[in-house]
Amino acid sequence: MFKTLGLAALLASCATLALAQAKTIEPGQDSGGMVLLPKFLGILVFEQAHEGAQEAHDELQDKGELQFLGPTPENSVAGQIEIMTTAGTQGVGAVMLSNNAGDQIVPAAQAAAQAGTKVVTWDSPIPNGEGESVFVAQVDFEQTGRVMADMAYDIMGGEGQFAILSASPDAANQNAWIASLEKVLGEDEKYANLEMVETVYGNDQSEESYNRALALVDSHPDLKLIMAPTTVGIQAAAKAMQDEGLCEQVKVSGLGLPAEMVSYTLNGCAPQFALWDFRDLGYLTTYVAYGLATGQLTGEVGEQFTAGRMGDYTIEADPGREGARRVLMGPFTVYNKDNVEAAAK
Amino acid sequence: MTRLSPGALRILALLLVLVLVAAFFATQIDNYLNARLFNRISSSVAIVALIATGQTLVILTRNIDLSLGSVVGFVAYATGAIVSAAPEIHPVLLALAALAIGAGFGLLNGLLVAYAGIPSIITTLAAMAIYRSALVEFSGAQSITTEDLPQWLVDFPNTQLFTLAGVQFRAAFVAAVVIVILVHLALLRLRPARALYAVGSNPEAAEMAGIDARRTVLAAFVAAGALAGLAGLFFLARFGNITVVAGLGFELKSIAAAVLGGVSINGGSGSVIGALIGAVLVDLIENSLVRWELVSEFWREAVLGFLILSAVSADALLMRRLTRLRIRREKAAPAPTPKEATS
Repeated sequence: MFKTLGLAALLASCATLALAQAKTIEPGQDSGGMVLLPKFLGILVFEQAHEGAQEAHDELQDKGELQFLGPTPENSVAGQIEIMTTAGTQGVGAVMLSNNAGDQIVPAAQAAAQAGTKVVTWDSPIPNGEGESVFVAQVDFEQTGRVMADMAYDIMGGEGQFAILSASPDAANQNAWIASLEKVLGEDEKYANLEMVETVYGNDQSEESYNRALALVDSHPDLKLIMAPTTVGIQAAAKAMQDEGLCEQVKVSGLGLPAEMVSYTLNGCAPQFALWDFRDLGYLTTYVAYGLATGQLTGEVGEQFTAGRMGDYTIEADPGREGARRVLMGPFTVYNKDNVEAAAK
Repeated sequence: MTRLSPGALRILALLLVLVLVAAFFATQIDNYLNARLFNRISSSVAIVALIATGQTLVILTRNIDLSLGSVVGFVAYATGAIVSAAPEIHPVLLALAALAIGAGFGLLNGLLVAYAGIPSIITTLAAMAIYRSALVEFSGAQSITTEDLPQWLVDFPNTQLFTLAGVQFRAAFVAAVVIVILVHLALLRLRPARALYAVGSNPEAAEMAGIDARRTVLAAFVAAGALAGLAGLFFLARFGNITVVAGLGFELKSIAAAVLGGVSINGGSGSVIGALIGAVLVDLIENSLVRWELVSEFWREAVLGFLILSAVSADALLMRRLTRLRIRREKAAPAPTPKEATS
């Protein structure tokens, strides 16, 4: 009963099927070891990605080891660079990175790539694409803007002020999504009456996000919606609105986990939100990384392959980052009071 | 005319700075001075005030505790795990568990600092990382969500005890203020608590006066851990969603609050009431900066640092001015009789 979006993604995979040249990735080879490197440890979505990666790793009977290594939260940027550097010097087959270090990771990623380690990004790419083999995009970043714009349009009844509560100011994925939202709002007449008044950052911490959300309400008396494209931010904002009895006045939307959002969706504080499956993302990323590390995939634009249970994918040019390549997963699932309970279980 | 003690003068100076900061932002931000502002600040101060109080106890002994933020995060998660496993647990028991876990961490820090002789900045820097990693390990990447918590706990921070002209006095805030006042009274009246000042101002003299300096330092760390543990429980109740980043940065915020509140970083002087007002000041500045359109996201931290420096300087200047004023008045007025002087 999921209301799925992302027709483009579906069409793309249909087209792939029609061509039917997808490479089958042979199991049982040695990737030389793979490292799954999240932004930091201890967040549910990354743990889900790890589960998916483990599933793919078992299926592929990779002779190399799969390691789940990440920095602690307060040390995210430096820790990611360090793990990337170590992986390069140890000569592992592939590093799967959800980048939280912006372009600061580039020297370490390039050094690893030169040492023969494939750098596959997922969730959040390297902004300038250097040192990166390919990016496994959870959804089309352009499309994220439209999904958020549509949710805002629905919830706000087509007009009014809204604000954005993001993660950190240098998170590549969130920044790209906000940019695409701004683009959609500017281009499409439908959204002409939606006014985006401010963007604030809660750094993916509950208390900071909670306080920022309340400050938004205080700063903008006519605010109708807070859009939070981060799983921590959206639930902190929803809790803040609920605690202060503001849910009638200010709604919350964005990207969230059904298990964390179910009560706010049912009580009307957060009537709609969206997300993709992080298990699938980890699974697909592992297929790509294994394929590259074993030399079965070259990473060229136009290359097609089958990723186990998820079907066929194509490596393509990344429209958001010049010279970079991506594999597009998709699609979004939009959750509302009709489907959130089932998904939360 | 009543004589004000230097401590009372300092509090007065701090309150003046608080008024000045609020007055400044009132000219910059629309709809600023209202009951809502009080509700916002008081709700978040409830947590920071407890940590700042603990931090003050440690700083009084010439030490510092950088691990308090990690303790807050760990206890928030641990109490969340306890209460979701046993939803029927009595609130008092849960609070005791929070205090005990926090005190346990404090005990570790205190033993290393007081008995192994490792400087507190090094001990607690390491402890900060170790406790945080322990949380990452313990949580197994699961987060506690509001769904897991009993209703009484979720309702606690926002329960309105009484309302004055739209200004709400909420349970967590009132509880925190009561605790701060109790600690303050203990520091004023109780002999063992007075030892914190003695050890902080002159450890050798304290030893000679028969005070066990090591035990005093240990006690300060244990108390700080326990208070941070209680803050962790408040944190859980307020935010509901606890991930491994919970309480990140609270150690620095508590130090800022204590120092702003006039607690000497060299030990031996300061009060927890000062630290409470310091916590209000830090929160007021932070809250206001977010709403101040002149400052972009990227400059906010720098402006916060600058404002803290200015507030400390303004406080020092005011303090000096007030002291001088008092001396002048004392010279002008006839010397108080001994009876008045004790009041």
